[in-house]
Amino acid sequence: MSENTRASGQGRSVLDFVGAFWAWIFLLLLVMIFAIANPVFLSPFNLQNILANMAILTIIALGQTFVIISGGIDLSAGWVMGMVSVVAALTINTMPPGAPLWIVLTVALLIGAVAALIAGLVNGLLIARLNVPPFIATLGMFGIARGVAFLLSGGMPIPVRTEGLGRVGNGYLFYFHPTAGWSFLTPPVGLAQADMRQLMGVIPNAVIFMLILLFVAHIVLSRSRFGLHTYAVGGNKEAALRAGIPVSRTLIAVYMTSAMCAAFAGVLYGTRFTNGAANAGEALLLDSIAAVVIGGASLFGGAGSVIGTLIGALIIAVLSNGLVILNINPFWQFIAVGVVIIIAVLIDQARERLIRA
Amino acid sequence: MSQGNVRRLAMFALLAVALLALAACTPVAPAAQTGAAAEPAATEAAAPEGEAAAGDMPTVALVYGVRGDGFYVTMEKGLRAAAEEMGVNVIADGPAQFDATLQRPILDAVVAQNPAAICIAATDRQALIEPMKAAFDRGIHIISVDTFIGDTAGDYTTGDVTFPLSYVGSDNVEGGRIACEAIIESIGGSGKMYIQNVRPGISTTDQREQGCREAIEATGGAVTLVGVDYNEDNAARAAEQTAAVLQREPDLAGIFGTNLFSAEGAAQAVKNAGLTGVVKVANFDAPEAAIEDLRNEVNDIVIAQLPYQMGQKCVEFALAAINGDTASIPKRFPTGYVVITRDNVDTEEAQNAIYSSQ
Repeated sequence: MSENTRASGQGRSVLDFVGAFWAWIFLLLLVMIFAIANPVFLSPFNLQNILANMAILTIIALGQTFVIISGGIDLSAGWVMGMVSVVAALTINTMPPGAPLWIVLTVALLIGAVAALIAGLVNGLLIARLNVPPFIATLGMFGIARGVAFLLSGGMPIPVRTEGLGRVGNGYLFYFHPTAGWSFLTPPVGLAQADMRQLMGVIPNAVIFMLILLFVAHIVLSRSRFGLHTYAVGGNKEAALRAGIPVSRTLIAVYMTSAMCAAFAGVLYGTRFTNGAANAGEALLLDSIAAVVIGGASLFGGAGSVIGTLIGALIIAVLSNGLVILNINPFWQFIAVGVVIIIAVLIDQARERLIRA
Repeated sequence: MSQGNVRRLAMFALLAVALLALAACTPVAPAAQTGAAAEPAATEAAAPEGEAAAGDMPTVALVYGVRGDGFYVTMEKGLRAAAEEMGVNVIADGPAQFDATLQRPILDAVVAQNPAAICIAATDRQALIEPMKAAFDRGIHIISVDTFIGDTAGDYTTGDVTFPLSYVGSDNVEGGRIACEAIIESIGGSGKMYIQNVRPGISTTDQREQGCREAIEATGGAVTLVGVDYNEDNAARAAEQTAAVLQREPDLAGIFGTNLFSAEGAAQAVKNAGLTGVVKVANFDAPEAAIEDLRNEVNDIVIAQLPYQMGQKCVEFALAAINGDTASIPKRFPTGYVVITRDNVDTEEAQNAIYSSQ
């Protein structure tokens, strides 16, 4: 008898460890496999690209994390992001040409945020006050944001040619050049085209932006009353109500948080791709949900974390980059992400059974 | 949970910064591979970049617009055939959808492998400028194939975008004009026409529409355009939209589908309305499916571009650039067209122009 319990206890601790860290282990394995297969994968240039390219997805997924923890889903995030990128591009193009870049960007972000927050508020009101299921409410907003974005842009992507805008999204915090040395935010001036080749960017701006938002989202979710309420509402809505938690207000705030993240993503898209495109976020919505689920969130609500979402986004980004570097058909990425999602849910269920047992 | 997670987040941030700092301490010269870097440090650093296995053969990369499309498959075939002949390594890849957000990470992953030249069919004329410029700044020769970037209609001698070596692709305005002139001829020189287009903002299809409009205007009012609809590259949506237009315009005479799905959807709607043969449908692009449709009288005219030749030319230009002979490379190289109808579909010229998906 005692032997039995010890054995199962050990089994539990191993499973616990794998359950808690499997995503990290999986990510590490992926990195190792890709690095061994082609060392280019680990080159600083490539690693920085992976992080910079995942920034937009991660930011949408951050908003999605709040929503999914609250027990809902936000299907409109991708098109709200596209709508913001269009609104931001239109705003930037109407600013006087000489205006300082930071003012231009702040105004674009503010106006974009207003557009997004209206969408988030409507989502929240429908879900919290009128009891429309989140899937339906945000599916409606999916169509509305899509239509508004295409109407505003006339169907065309809107190019933004403001000087220096592209460098905000595509540039680096530092630049290093063997002869010109280090420089901050802008490449050393006066480099000939041939010398540009040895220029090395260090820490992409998009990654800084992503890290700041990750940090803020993490603090809000794990430390603030709003974060606590989000878990409570997702865990058990009735219990949360009885405990005196303002369920409606929390839900409205959750959907506005998601919309705000979509706004940040839309503006970042504008600076990285120097245009506003209605369909900018179309390809990212399902990946954003995948990232959150791989990160251990439950679609039934009450579980999930910012760190988990980050790992989920990392796995997706590393897969999509590694498969290209290995010259494997990228269609495999769909299959790989699909398998990882299913594994994530299975492991979660196994852990829960163990905890209950 | 909060305490542990803050620590983990901090650890990740530290790790990221450490990795990036490490990156800074070992500046890898991307140019080493082209042999331009003289410093020994740079040559050393080039070794772990995985270039050793490639030997002395230069590498040319192809980043196409969407995977599994017969057009790009044929282009890759042409590129690989020419590359083998000239002793050039090839890497080729592209996104699962024709989408800039998906194409960019692929371009970046290709750039990380430091090819000597990249042939790219950009999926958006504005969104890909920055990443392509970044590749150029790393010393990689950039050649546009099929689509162009910037807003000078593929003219890389003026405007903001002049860094690509060349734009190898069909003159799509001309292609649209040829297509619609063929339709106008087949409908007897007068009547109503309709255009099924993919999505605004794609340089090639925008220009085909423009060319078609020019052909219509040239009739001096004999032919009128009843409208343009966008199907997001979805045949079902094209069929839906065309069916509605057929309701609205019962005397419609011809439809120009600016790509396969546009034309297939339009043709399906025409068939459903029992108007096959009455409403003439022209299909821009010549994948096998379009030729099948042509034989089955679903469409009436197929306009073939020459993607195989685009691939060949791109390798040829890339190799010239690698050898330092940029003067011989034209900034614009229009590949031509073949107009395929049921009368000439079995000729050798037409057969060679069909895009095959294997």
